[in-house]
Amino acid sequence: MRLLRQDLHTLTGAYALDALEEGGELTRFNRHLSRCQSCASEVRGFREVATAMAFAVATEPPPEMRDRVMAAVARTRQLPPEVRTHARPRRTRGTAPWLPWLSGAVATAAIAVAVFFGFANSHTQEQLNAARARNQALAASQARVEAELSQARAHDQALAKILGAPHVTLLSRATTKGGVAVVVLDSAKRQLVVATSGLPALPPGKVYQLWLIGPVKIVSAGLLPAAENGVTPPAVATGIVKGDKLGLTVEPAPGSTQPTTTPILALPLPV
Amino acid sequence: MNPNDSDAARFTPATADRRGERDLDDLLVHVARGDQVAFEALYDRMVGPVYGVIRRVLRDPSQSEEVAQEVLLEVWRTAARFDPAMGGAATWVTTIAHRRAIDRIRSTTAAADREQKSADVRPPHDEVAEAVEASLDRERVRRCLDGLTEMQRESITLAYYGGHSYRQVAELLSVTLAAIKTRIRDGLIRMRDCLGVS
Repeated sequence: MRLLRQDLHTLTGAYALDALEEGGELTRFNRHLSRCQSCASEVRGFREVATAMAFAVATEPPPEMRDRVMAAVARTRQLPPEVRTHARPRRTRGTAPWLPWLSGAVATAAIAVAVFFGFANSHTQEQLNAARARNQALAASQARVEAELSQARAHDQALAKILGAPHVTLLSRATTKGGVAVVVLDSAKRQLVVATSGLPALPPGKVYQLWLIGPVKIVSAGLLPAAENGVTPPAVATGIVKGDKLGLTVEPAPGSTQPTTTPILALPLPV
Repeated sequence: MNPNDSDAARFTPATADRRGERDLDDLLVHVARGDQVAFEALYDRMVGPVYGVIRRVLRDPSQSEEVAQEVLLEVWRTAARFDPAMGGAATWVTTIAHRRAIDRIRSTTAAADREQKSADVRPPHDEVAEAVEASLDRERVRRCLDGLTEMQRESITLAYYGGHSYRQVAELLSVTLAAIKTRIRDGLIRMRDCLGVS
């Protein structure tokens, strides 16, 4: 088993150069890659080497190619961003695998803010106690999932990168239907992480969907993951441009290409 | 020109004209939002390496042009799927380009055609020497390739520029699969250090 893993690990080079043939080995390596952080980062480094090798053989194509490509672009629809929720099957066991990736201080701030603001509209002791209890539950859950650290996937690094970025902005706003959205915005990288607390539960067949509402265009930023104890785990949105607002609507499952209801949140994003 | 000047002037994503790289990432973000002007700027920056690497792998100019067009259109179509956590925009684009070239040669019809064109498997080093003409970028990559062992260099260039699978490389060089895997990886580690990839 150990040998096999070692064997797979040495494939990082061939993989980065697209030198694995389609088939079992490629499938096995892809699976391995999703679990092996050091392999993923090695592949990233090797891909940069490959990129330098591509630049080193840069060749100008016939000039008429440009017009052809631009004409094709003008009549080609773009794909929307992939719906990435960070809610994985593992979550159904009641754990929160994203937690270990949050860097300490920001994680605490994000969770505290998410929990606290969910109850900020009224300041009764009872609700504050409930908030504290919830906070403790989250902390306990965090401790439980530390053990899963080694299994966490490369995808979660996106989250960690945003939350660990030096110049992040923490934003929060109540929705018009109650509850609050908390956003950690990395304006340099034009990405954000959003979590919510206390949103009304939805009937079956409905989902909360995030949007980047720009001056000229509205694009989907994916679905909000299902809430746990009233708190939705962080979702990542990328590709923010100047003038965007973060929108939230209720949509028929599995989500819409454009909003079909009035946004219950429109939070300006300072990038 | 002193060596420092050449350091400042070079542009490859692997080194660190970080400013240039950031601009490219920004362009791609705007492309993802349907900005055709941003796409034109991205095109002008990336068409050279895209066409160059495809041409190197496929050799045939008209097929290369066809694949390069498909790749650039794919960049436009799927720009929203670009994930900066997985690497920079230049890497994203050149990775697509190389993979599409490989897809093309591994599709059976093209393979036969290409085998004929390259019946003489040219010595990899000559191929690189031919490809890597005078320019700072090229010079740097060539110098780093020269720092590899012959076996590492041959394995890497046969795989990347030649578009061969590591299994084919092992056959061409008459060594075991395990040896090729290791040589490619060790060679890339050396290249990475030599190019100053973080």
